[in-house]
This record gives sequence, structure tokens and C-alpha cells, in this order.
Amino acid sequence: MDKFVCVRVVQANALDLALFQFDYDLTFAVFFMNADRTIYGRYGSRSDRKDATKDISIAGLGEALVAALDLHKHYPANKASLAGKQPRPARFKTPDEFPSLRGKYQAKLDYEGKVVQSCMHCHQVRDAERRFFRDDRKPIPDEVLYPFPMPDAIGLSIDSKTKAGVKGVAAGSAAYEAGIKAGDEIVTLDGQPILSIADMQWVLHNAGQPARLPAQVRRGRGRSTLELRLDKDWRRHCDIAWRATTWDLRRMAGGGLLLDEATAEERKLAKLPSDVLALRVNHVGEYGEHAVAKKAGFRKDDILVSVGGLTGRMTESELIGYLLRNNMPGDKIPVTVLRAGERVDLELPMQ
Amino acid sequence: MNAPIAILIASLFLAATALNAAEDRRERVLNDRKEVANAGQWIYNDLAEGFAEAGRTGKPLLVVFRCVP
Repeated sequence: MDKFVCVRVVQANALDLALFQFDYDLTFAVFFMNADRTIYGRYGSRSDRKDATKDISIAGLGEALVAALDLHKHYPANKASLAGKQPRPARFKTPDEFPSLRGKYQAKLDYEGKVVQSCMHCHQVRDAERRFFRDDRKPIPDEVLYPFPMPDAIGLSIDSKTKAGVKGVAAGSAAYEAGIKAGDEIVTLDGQPILSIADMQWVLHNAGQPARLPAQVRRGRGRSTLELRLDKDWRRHCDIAWRATTWDLRRMAGGGLLLDEATAEERKLAKLPSDVLALRVNHVGEYGEHAVAKKAGFRKDDILVSVGGLTGRMTESELIGYLLRNNMPGDKIPVTVLRAGERVDLELPMQ
Repeated sequence: MNAPIAILIASLFLAATALNAAEDRRERVLNDRKEVANAGQWIYNDLAEGFAEAGRTGKPLLVVFRCVP
């Protein structure tokens, strides 16, 4: 660690969004950088609401630190290979430029006064970005709805104790079709040296729909370059249910409903085959704009079996995206729920 | 106990709990700054100083975004 200048940041107030672009749902995110602001890599990933450490480890961070030092040693000769790691143009320079955050926070924390209340949290940046589109009655872009996809979105399971060691490949996935195998190490992705799962997420975050991504993999003593082919909908299958920022999406698209996939047992009891929609209401919001579904008649344990005419199986994350892409605030979506075995027709207001 | 008194007591209890939680968090935020500063190796919440130090020393930067738990 003494080979680095270490900086700890605890606030998003006045965050330079033109430089620090990362998964704002994280509570732990790392940048490896040069003093000239060139980014060598990122570290910090999460895919579970309760378990914040599932996708990170001391060993993995250690490997990333060593790799970052190696990039620093060869800098600036390697500058061209780092081009893809650099930030993209930002819509707003700092979070307080977003309309929903404007004037609410000072640039510095108020240590002498209400220090807790003076702190802007990172997740508020993503919330504000989504509100920016929604409040302007514009579709929320897919990369804003489904940010920083985990490698499992393309079928890769990465060992978090390594930089980018492949633990498993899902049959039929883009990674499988590309020929990546368990035991491989992803050396570069889309030409970028990979230091961590977060680095892979950065590539995926900025990938198109569809996209072709070259991946250099190390297998044993050899290296080969494979090609990942992502279809136009690949991002829309990402799981965002764990994210803190999905709470506000549930307000917009679900009137405050928290939905879970019905279990196999629940499907059996309700006589619902495995390929049809069956999302069980786990929680109904009680207050303000999160109580809109409650006021519309939805109850805990209702099972949604038809939403706007859709009856095919989908996850809560997919349904949220579908509703936000196709509806605007003020629309009312016809929904059929199963309640104690009876079908009940309701209307779900969009916000 | 009649309903209004029960509601009042419940409200006061909840308010006190919330106040304690807020105080706890305030303490944690203030202590965090103290502890990290005392540890010596970290620059706390000052990116400009971090970039300047990296420029002076030629070392790379490790920037950690971490909420106070």
C-alpha cells in the first residue's frame, strides 16, 4: 500500500462526474490512477442486496493492486492501451447540476453542524440521472437502467479471489459461444487490460446493443483472442433487483411494489406453468408515491399473471425495464393478479 | 391506555430511536475522520491533495470511495 498515494473519499458532494464514473450503487469502489488523472483500472463489484462482499476479496484486490503497479511502471508507453478505460463525456459535471439535486447539498460536509444530513450518497447520482429522463418524459436509456452489468450477463462467472479468472461459463451464453472455458483468465476485453471484475463491468457498461467484443484469454501457457457476440437485448436481462437505486424504479414503474419470482411450489399451487408470468408481491409501499399501488388495490402476496397484456415469464428487473420503456407518468397499466385463487383485475399507475 | 396516549408514546419512542440512530451515525462519521487521519497513510476526503502528492512523489493513486459504515 505504501507504493500508492491513498485517498479515502466518503461523499458524493461535488463529485467530478467527468472523471469518476463507476457503479454508484456500490458502497466500496476503488480507482487506480496516475497523477495526470489517467485511469489504470477500477475495483469493487456487487450483485447481492445483503451480501456486499460476495464479489470482492482481499486476494482479488491484491492482484488488482499488483497489476495497477505494473501498468504504472510501464506508463506512458502503454497509454494507448488504456484509452478505453477513460471516462466518457458526462451529462453533468457534478451531481448538484442534476435538477433533482440542485441546491440541496454543499460541496463540503458540514462537520461542525449536521454532518450526516450534509452528505450526498453515491447512489443519489444514479437516482438523479434516472429522474432527469423520467421527469422530462423521456425513455431512460438502457445503460442507465441496467448499469455496470456483471460478467454473468454474458455467461461468465469470475472467481472474485483473482483478477479475472473464469470459474464457470453458462451453456448457450455469449461467453460459451465465444469458446471461453472455466480455468481461462480474461487478459483483455475490448482491448482494455483487465484488473478486476469491475474492469469487465466498465467494458460491458459501455458496450453497444448489439456488440462484438474481442477477448484475449490466457489458457495454460497460451493466449488466444476470441470474440464475444452480444445480441441487442443482452443488457435487459441483467438483475437490478439488488440495487438500492431500484427502490425509486419501483416507485416509477410499480407504484411501490416489491416483486419476487413465485417459487416452484407457489406456481404448482396456482397451476401456473414455468413459462408464464408469476411475480409475487413481497411488499406494498405504505407512504407517499410508494403507496400508489396500495391505493390502486394491490395487496401483499398477490401474484401478477398479466401486465399490460404480457403473460410470458419475466423477472422483476425485466418487467421494470419493459414498463419504463413503454409507458410514461400518468399511464395506467391493466394488471391481472391471482388472489386466494381468484383472478382480480386492477390498474397500475405509472409515475 | 386509550388510543391517543398509546400513539403519543409510540411516536416518542420512535422519535427517540431515530434520534439515537442519528447520533450514532454522527459519531461514526466524526470518528471515521479522526481514525483515518490518525492512521497516517490516508489522505481524507481531499482529492486535490491526493493528485498533488502523486505528482510530487511519482506514485500512482489509490482512490477509495467508501461510505462511513
